[in-house]
Amino acid sequence: MTKTEALKMLNPIFCEVFDDDSIVLTEETTAADIDGWDSVEHFNLISAVEAAFSMQFQMREVSGMKNVGEMAEIVAQRAK
Amino acid sequence: MVFSSLIFLYLFLPVCLLCYGLSSSLAWKNTILVIFSLIFYAWGEPIYIFLLLGSVIINYLFGLAMGKCKDQKQEKGAKAFMILALLFNLGLLGIFKYSGFLVENLNLLPFISLPVPSLRLPIGISFYTFQILSYLIDLYWDKVERQRNLGHFLLYISMFPQLVAGPIVRYSTIAAEIGSRKVTMTEFSSGISRFVLGLAKKVILSNHLSVIVADFFGGDLSQLTVLGTWYAVAVYAMQVYFDFSGYSDMAIGMGLMFGFHFDENFRHPFLCKDISEFWQRWHISLGTFFRDYLLYMPIFGKRRKYGGLFLVWFCTGLWHGASWNFILWGLYFGIFIFIEQCIGKKKMRKIPLLFRHLYSKLVILIGFGIFYFESLSKLLIFFRRLIGLDGAALTDQYLLLSIRNHIWLLLAAVICCFPIAEWFKKLGNRSVGSAYVFNALQTVCNVVLLAVSSILLVDATNNPFLYFRF
Repeated sequence: MTKTEALKMLNPIFCEVFDDDSIVLTEETTAADIDGWDSVEHFNLISAVEAAFSMQFQMREVSGMKNVGEMAEIVAQRAK
Repeated sequence: MVFSSLIFLYLFLPVCLLCYGLSSSLAWKNTILVIFSLIFYAWGEPIYIFLLLGSVIINYLFGLAMGKCKDQKQEKGAKAFMILALLFNLGLLGIFKYSGFLVENLNLLPFISLPVPSLRLPIGISFYTFQILSYLIDLYWDKVERQRNLGHFLLYISMFPQLVAGPIVRYSTIAAEIGSRKVTMTEFSSGISRFVLGLAKKVILSNHLSVIVADFFGGDLSQLTVLGTWYAVAVYAMQVYFDFSGYSDMAIGMGLMFGFHFDENFRHPFLCKDISEFWQRWHISLGTFFRDYLLYMPIFGKRRKYGGLFLVWFCTGLWHGASWNFILWGLYFGIFIFIEQCIGKKKMRKIPLLFRHLYSKLVILIGFGIFYFESLSKLLIFFRRLIGLDGAALTDQYLLLSIRNHIWLLLAAVICCFPIAEWFKKLGNRSVGSAYVFNALQTVCNVVLLAVSSILLVDATNNPFLYFRF
């Protein structure tokens, strides 16, 4: 899976978690760009992404991701 | 030494600021801060200061060793030092804070009768241990560079504004400022305002609210009425809030005076609409610490989402004290956050705002009751009085008298739970003229609050911050 493909697959998960169909992800998207992306929703988002791609983020990755691009890169490398 | 004491306000802090201001280089400024921080800590902890210094030196060496392994791409070596560092720091915290509690509980088992250790808790050990851990874990995760200068590392851990009761300042937050910073007049002035605001919260509000709490909860609990119990626990919630957020304001204010920018620790928590939001506004530095370093721990497999959540709330309770009521308190909040997670944010938002506020305040107030009563038998009586069991009267003259005698204090406390300073600031920013008026008013307020707090402190006999014991 490429990073672009991962980004595309992440988009509906974000729409579902944040209950907002207008979300269009780019690699530069951050928590500041999405309404309601707080620590609780981050927790739900991580769980939803892990479930969707049958993978698990490492602790250092969860608190270290600077933008959606970094998340897509990890997903692309590790998704089953 | 506590911030809300005359010796700190009129001798220690002014002398420290003067020496700091007269120092020509950053190296000297850092040295001055370290010297004053060690005096500040030794004032109340002449013995345990050696524990602090020992911990700093050993953890500095752990950092160096881990950094060296990282440089040589020896991930296994770095991991070994990380595990050793965790064992050392959590072991230290365990020995001084939890050994008595652990042995007491072990002794409940048949055939076990161990002597209960009675070690006095070193002031601030929970806070500085967590700061050290944040540095070491971030170093292990390649988020920060190792600190090669022992003086700089000692400054990070021992800096007196946040040494004994937080906020838990991450190394990454102030790493750059330890090596390069400057203080502008605007920030120095903001620092003074913030410091005075925190002092007033503590001395004018919290100290006087504590008298009401002692009146109701300090005596025979079986005499409490239903409304009297609710009233006392609400007053206690405000007392803790003004005490702890007051301390955080003073710490953040002093940080600004010395050129450091600490993260906020409170954001008007009683304005929350649910329990998840309450914890995003209350003791933020502890919440974010557990979120980043514990919540996602991969020990629960596919149940990580909820396993991690309850582990965090168990630890949040345990961090506050070696007592079952604190563990119960942590798990109590964990259960409500779990329920809110199950309901989901979308459905929570659909609940009318009034009900959400009522629900959250009810849960928070009962939580403060659990927090207050370390004795489980007293906690049980508290619950029974709250719901009017055992023939508790609804109200009595004592409650009415207390409200009448403290009406201005109670009104001021409730008003100060709202972000009034921010509202005034917004008004002040509307035009040049209003900014001028706002600045003048702020100066007058600072002088009045400092004067009133100082007068009150002359008579104060016992003035410790509640979070010193953690």
